[in-house]
Amino acid sequence: MAQIYPIGGGKGGVGKTFITASLGALLAKSGKKVVLIDLDLGGSNLHTVLGINDQQGGINRFLDKTVKNLENTAVPTVIQNLFFISSSLCSMEIANLFHAHKLKIINAIQKLAFDYILLDLGTGTNFNTLDFFLTSNQGIFICTPEPTAIENSFRFIKAVYLRKLKHIVKQHSFHSAVKKAVSHPNHEAITSPDIIEIVLKHDPDREMFLRNSLSGFKFKFILNQFRKNLDATIGDKIEDLCNRHFYSNFQFLGNVGYDVRIHDSVLSKKVFIHKYPYAPPAIDIKKITEKIINTRPFIPLTGEIS
Amino acid sequence: MKNFEGLNFYEILKIPANSTSFEIKRAYQDALSIYNEDSLVTYSLFSNEERGNLLNTVKEAYSTLIDENKRAAYDAILLDSGQVEMSITSIQNQKTPPHAHTSHMTDSDTVEERVRKKSRKKEVETLSNEILSRDLISGDDLKKMREAAGIELSEMNAVTKISVSVLKSMEENRIESLPPNIYLKNFLRHYAEMLQIDPKKIIDGYLKHISLTKKKL
Repeated sequence: MAQIYPIGGGKGGVGKTFITASLGALLAKSGKKVVLIDLDLGGSNLHTVLGINDQQGGINRFLDKTVKNLENTAVPTVIQNLFFISSSLCSMEIANLFHAHKLKIINAIQKLAFDYILLDLGTGTNFNTLDFFLTSNQGIFICTPEPTAIENSFRFIKAVYLRKLKHIVKQHSFHSAVKKAVSHPNHEAITSPDIIEIVLKHDPDREMFLRNSLSGFKFKFILNQFRKNLDATIGDKIEDLCNRHFYSNFQFLGNVGYDVRIHDSVLSKKVFIHKYPYAPPAIDIKKITEKIINTRPFIPLTGEIS
Repeated sequence: MKNFEGLNFYEILKIPANSTSFEIKRAYQDALSIYNEDSLVTYSLFSNEERGNLLNTVKEAYSTLIDENKRAAYDAILLDSGQVEMSITSIQNQKTPPHAHTSHMTDSDTVEERVRKKSRKKEVETLSNEILSRDLISGDDLKKMREAAGIELSEMNAVTKISVSVLKSMEENRIESLPPNIYLKNFLRHYAEMLQIDPKKIIDGYLKHISLTKKKL
């Protein structure tokens, strides 16, 4: 069974694409069969970071039915065992994906025969991004140690969380007051008093069910562009804090050091890990890769998206 | 968002129930560095109201645990509710370790009781009455009364916490190694209380004796 890791995070420029490419490369180098899927629809970049001159496209051919099986749109990369599915030749309006198309992509992804499937997601918290993130219950979010990125990460987590709640409530019989609170969340319902409390009030029997559903979700996160002068315990603190104040699990995977050569490798369209395998960020990502390989897969969720 | 629901003060500060006040202070600083308004870690995570409530709880946890009396009362509540076990709370357990030179490590209460019984003997009373009637009381007198009661220096030390070397200096009239008068008076009071005799007479008599000896030198 493939392990799916959606890679998101609210803010742009924090290194989602870079981390996706690097993690994928290292997983492939350790002998796993890996596919990277560019799901930053309308903002595709992953092919460039991988040094691929995309002339064929990938997801576009799957959506227009030129190719029946999504797996056949995967192309090899310079790294053995590492494959890539592009979205760079999709329609200019692809960012506003049809609901049916979204479901088609998600279902196809869940059937891909690889060891690891990494999804490079776009910026922001639009429904497509959130639903792609919810393809798996072990999404990774990338953040940098700056207030702007941290703010957007928390917003992203809350948005994923609410989306998840909506899916759960929609698919199971909850009290009408709960359904109403979830489908028309006022500002307060999204943040503090918490849907759990509303459930507790109107649907006490379902409280444990909801808690369990939420605790089945394991967020992982990476702090990228980490500079030496910063407090190295920030990540652990965020992990601890989120585990305390959200109903889901959080795991801090590690810091990835800042390095100007990352920018250089993007300019030269080379895979950084390949070009500088012993640079500090490469070592950092190697450690994260080992952590991912050694983690037992979280019980996978299917059919949550409707 | 969850607040601190279901967490006790120790859990909120992330410390074990037998933490020292130093550990409590450090844990409090750590908690503030996370929940304070200018903390990067919680930036934008909480509304002002939520943050205010969380900070108030953290402060309440700190002010309760750092105050010995409040902490004991709080521990009692936790014990009653079965949240912690007796063995891991009780601050009494971590009070001053036993003194190295008390050969038998009995509890100071029982030593005190035993010592007091000794000084209640009849012959001790007669001796001390005779000594107390004098104007001057020397270290030898103190020693005589102590020995008559059969109290060892180590037992004296275990109860009064006066070091054995100071006790010896007092008994041997070694003026040069006696502590300043303000301490000496206090030591004499403890000594007298140990023998269950009038502290005032002992203090006056001994100090007079010492000042006379000084003049003679």
